[in-house]
Amino acid sequence: MIYLQHFYFTIFVLLATLNSAVFAQERKPRLPVPINGVYEGEFHFQYSKPARVQSMRSFGNGWSNDAHLLWDGKIGESCHLRFYVPAKSRYQVLIQLTKAPDYGRFRLLMDDKKISEIDLYSNRVALADLIKLGEFDLSQGLHQLRLELIDSHPKAKPFREKGRFLMGLDSLQLIDQNPKKVESSIRPPRAASRWAWTDLKSFVRNSCVRCHGTDKQEAELDLTSLQSVNDFAADLKLTQKIVSALRQREMPPEDEPQPGAESRQQAILFLSDLIDDQLQESSRLPVVVMRRLNRLEYNNAVVDLLSLRSDLYPLPERVIRAGFPYFQPSLGFLPDQVRIGNRALGKNQIEQKLLQGVVPFAMDLQAEHGFNNRGRELSISPLMLETFLKLARSIVDSPNFADYCQDYVTLFQLEIPRNLSEADRLKLVTMKAKSRLQILLFRAFRRPIDAATLDRYVRFFRDRYAESQSFSHSMKSVVAAILASPKFLFIVETAQRDQKYAPLNDFELASRLSFFLWSSIPDQTLLELAESGKLSDPAVLEAQVHNMLLSPKSKSLSENFARQWLRLDQLITSVPDDQRFAKYYSRIGCEYWKFGLQMMVEPLLLFESVMVEDSSIMDLIDSSYAYRSDELQSWYRDKIPFNDKSIVNRFNTNQQQFLRRKLPSRREGGVITSAAVMTMTSSPLRTSPITRGAWVAGVILNQPPPPPPDAVPEIEADDDVIEAKGLTLRQRLKQHQINPSCASCHAKIDPLGFVLENYDAVGRWRDQYRSGLKINTSGKLFGEHEFKDIVEFKKVLVEHPEIFTRAFSEHLLSYALGRKLDVSDKPAVNKIVRNVIADRGRFSRVVSEVVRSFPFRHKANHRQ
Amino acid sequence: MILKNKTISRRRFLRGAGAAVSLPCLNLMSPRSASGSELPRTIQRAAFFYVPNGVVQSAWHLQSTGADFALSETLQPLTSVKKHISVFSGLDRIKVSGTDGHAQASTCWLSSAAPDELSPAGYPLKRTIDQLIADQIGQSTPFRSLELSCNPYRDNRESVYFDNISWYGHGHVAKSMRDPRKVFERLFQVKEHRQHASVLDLVQEDARSLVNDLGREDQQKLKEYMESVRTVELQIQRVHRKQDSINRLKLQSPIEPWFELDRDEYIQLMGDLMILAFQTDMTRVASLMVAPERWGAPQIVQGLFDKPIVHHSMTHGQGDPKIQADLAKLDRYHIEQFRVLVEKMSQIKEGDSTLLDQSMFLFGSGLSSGKTHVYSDLPIVIAGKAGGMIQTNFHRREEKGTPVANLWVSLLQAMGAETKRLGDSTGNVALTS
Repeated sequence: MIYLQHFYFTIFVLLATLNSAVFAQERKPRLPVPINGVYEGEFHFQYSKPARVQSMRSFGNGWSNDAHLLWDGKIGESCHLRFYVPAKSRYQVLIQLTKAPDYGRFRLLMDDKKISEIDLYSNRVALADLIKLGEFDLSQGLHQLRLELIDSHPKAKPFREKGRFLMGLDSLQLIDQNPKKVESSIRPPRAASRWAWTDLKSFVRNSCVRCHGTDKQEAELDLTSLQSVNDFAADLKLTQKIVSALRQREMPPEDEPQPGAESRQQAILFLSDLIDDQLQESSRLPVVVMRRLNRLEYNNAVVDLLSLRSDLYPLPERVIRAGFPYFQPSLGFLPDQVRIGNRALGKNQIEQKLLQGVVPFAMDLQAEHGFNNRGRELSISPLMLETFLKLARSIVDSPNFADYCQDYVTLFQLEIPRNLSEADRLKLVTMKAKSRLQILLFRAFRRPIDAATLDRYVRFFRDRYAESQSFSHSMKSVVAAILASPKFLFIVETAQRDQKYAPLNDFELASRLSFFLWSSIPDQTLLELAESGKLSDPAVLEAQVHNMLLSPKSKSLSENFARQWLRLDQLITSVPDDQRFAKYYSRIGCEYWKFGLQMMVEPLLLFESVMVEDSSIMDLIDSSYAYRSDELQSWYRDKIPFNDKSIVNRFNTNQQQFLRRKLPSRREGGVITSAAVMTMTSSPLRTSPITRGAWVAGVILNQPPPPPPDAVPEIEADDDVIEAKGLTLRQRLKQHQINPSCASCHAKIDPLGFVLENYDAVGRWRDQYRSGLKINTSGKLFGEHEFKDIVEFKKVLVEHPEIFTRAFSEHLLSYALGRKLDVSDKPAVNKIVRNVIADRGRFSRVVSEVVRSFPFRHKANHRQ
Repeated sequence: MILKNKTISRRRFLRGAGAAVSLPCLNLMSPRSASGSELPRTIQRAAFFYVPNGVVQSAWHLQSTGADFALSETLQPLTSVKKHISVFSGLDRIKVSGTDGHAQASTCWLSSAAPDELSPAGYPLKRTIDQLIADQIGQSTPFRSLELSCNPYRDNRESVYFDNISWYGHGHVAKSMRDPRKVFERLFQVKEHRQHASVLDLVQEDARSLVNDLGREDQQKLKEYMESVRTVELQIQRVHRKQDSINRLKLQSPIEPWFELDRDEYIQLMGDLMILAFQTDMTRVASLMVAPERWGAPQIVQGLFDKPIVHHSMTHGQGDPKIQADLAKLDRYHIEQFRVLVEKMSQIKEGDSTLLDQSMFLFGSGLSSGKTHVYSDLPIVIAGKAGGMIQTNFHRREEKGTPVANLWVSLLQAMGAETKRLGDSTGNVALTS
């Protein structure tokens, strides 16, 4: 399948010199899809100033999501609201507005057709009655609701000036009068194997047992022990290994007689069928072990729970640090210019204001081929628990906590009438604490709170109150306790004991979703959907995923997923030789800084643009554009970067303007050939093709090589020494491969590294080695797809999108589940890959397919 | 923060109290006054000093055995403390294929589980002997054990298995601390948090209310949490009891960030903290990783090499005599760091004895050679007599193929445990002749 090549970006990059605002209009904004037809005023509409979101918490309960959209204007002016209708139909339309003393009288128009007039005056702030506006035929796409201020109730007080009045929209609801059933995805039939067991048996005898038989057991493998179909079925891991080895032409080795193409294909199909049948029969869903929040998740969870204005502590996990919130998925594009710095490596970066006196816990380390969110590897030792206790306390005790907590008044403050008796006072205080805790605990623990738990926390509050006689002090103690509870710190799913597996309940689904897409706790919408039991409805789930990706909180997919997937942290400790690659360093005062701090940002901005623009994930392999600072551009393009400036202040270590730039050649673009990846996979003096090959195998193909064998010969650290002997690095490595047991692995890894030899140890293009020796970049992928250089290599990947789509989907699924995938996840991954490819690799399709997948929506019985 | 020019020593640390060895008023800190209970005759301590990536075997190898053994090239720096040490050779661990050789080396070193005792992560990993020893001798001190690491790297290149030698059990790491300031504050600046105690009661109830709803593996995770709750409860009570006498020491907290310290300062600082914790009886069990396994990233060893080195790459370049010489130099450097700590411990009086004589301070690596990733003939030096249980100034060469677990069993027994078998052990290694 051939992917459409970035026509969209080409157009606008050509015009990139013009004001980017012009293009903002040409790009389609992405509007959220409503859940069950409800459009929240503060969320689902495209609007412009002076309309803005207002929190309604202090006005009482009733407003959905505790907020509405507020507008003010002079008589004759209108509030224009655009919204997206997902499907053509006839809809009953209802509107929920706010009324208040300074609100006006409005004429409502749908797509410029007048519907009705409404007076929003009331002597106090309250919700207006729910009004039926009638039935409308609406096409799929954007529609406009207009509210025109015509005049006011005689008693209404103007807002700020004469003739100016307000309007508040809580929600609009569309009820489909002709609902259609949700389409189910159709599974294309798969070619079945024509082979019988005896055919496979003779295939194994002819092609495998010479090395994997009774005489010789290469890789400690004797295939003659597999005497029947059942033997293969009993060892699915081995069977899967055989399929992979056959598919990728690793086996039989090149220098052995090869089976015919048809035989190979039939053997693969026979064994694949066997695996799928076996899996369907047994459905052995792996267990997801209850996991502790990692540092980023803990931060986000607390910030969301207490509505804090900023992060708790410095987070190098957020590599990109910007003064301006450039990441706005609802715009549908990433700005052409972003002014940013690098938090992990940078100096004097814009430090957001943080809570004073709060000390973070250490970043958890990544799994060997995965992420730092795996339950089995995350535990709470005494040291960790101590840290959590202190951390929680330091948050509520922080001197600027009251300023930072937007819910401070409603959560921690209480006006107590002076003349109350001691007993009445205690009663009032306890009652208030109880009602606040009921909500807070529900949000903190992400599940319904039973009476015993609520009582426990209320009792804890009462004890603290008895000691301190201070409501706010006691509430702070309760909050500090909540933050140390296992119900907060762990993502808990209840046991499933009857069957082998069961669907997650809606609350568990809400948590999996929010930790996957936001690295945080579920918001109110998710919890409400879970409470009403609607979240697991496929259509609702699909819409939620869509909406969650439109939230700026989805940036955590870049900060938490992409950063780990690409293993970008390795760039922090890369030290190219300071003489050979002197340009990599800049001296400011007596400190040396590395250019990696600008490199690291480039692949992350590419990832974010693919996310926000919902383009194909194949752009991560081969993009026609890149985000680069002028200095980074100079690094790639100029023979001598930075105008040959001396080391002092050679490059900027503060913020940089990153511009979206069109790339002239496929040598550039995508993550693989980025200077960041090329530098971090090199050693100080030269490239390291094996490291690069292993990186490509693990990150891009998700086929990490097995651990290296015991005796690994190291070759010269300096390529000058190698080239002085007239050898290229490739020839030297080949020479060194004496041990034939290494050959089968290296046949797989090496070409993936050698193809990158045109990029030197700091990611700059070179046509030949320094000594003038020629660079040989040719090779084969999976022993099948030939390429002669990096451009052809990228082409192979783009023309066989199933390779990268599978790898990327597996990485994302593993991240979403917080566990390693195993062979039993194969049917689910197959389905994701099929559907993503059918949708041309759209990013949001990968995400929604992961969410729809069986392993994401189910939990396993631990005792199977 | 990168490649900083250094002109002055940054070890402005623990100065207020002088070096650990010359701490004043240590009598205040004697276990008797701290716990108020009857003193045991000897207070044993156990500590482990871990070196990653193995050693240069040819330079490590000792020619002679027994009481009159001669120190090898790498062990030369130990000359001044030779009477305090014993060396063990010929001890092996069985390697389980399929997982990373370096991660397994550090993670499974102190448990030496049998190859078939695989944890879900694929490593034969069980409770490590430092924790088993803490089960014996760490029950009355505020902290049951102390885990330290001089990991100089600021990326998270490797997984948790490369960075920790101490484990409570499968998947339950006794996570090491890298920041000397945090270690100091944890040990000596524990402010009173009575509130923590009530929080612990509350969250324990939460945990209890959860336990029946969980699957088997989740229950295990929750059990780890509940064990930590109990440990911290005890810790708070015990630290509280010692708070006054600690305050009287007027110790000063470190001022420099750890990543700005020179290598030797960093290692010695962590070592001092460990010794101080022993002296003040805050804990009796500790482990100190001098650096994590593999972590193929460069580090600077000031005063030893002009350029940043990658320890792991050097071990694979040993074929080159120059690199091998450099590597042997690095091994000696680590031995020298160990020697300085041993000497400090030997100068600390404890009644008629010394801290060192009461201790078992073991230097070792989970790999014998980083070149071939083999686990046979592991390098092991023990300083101290563990209260008379270990004969010093002795080199014992065990028969080829003797499991290192045999030594672990003997050490556990020396610490008062009744353990007969551990991991893949087949018997004992004699600690005295």
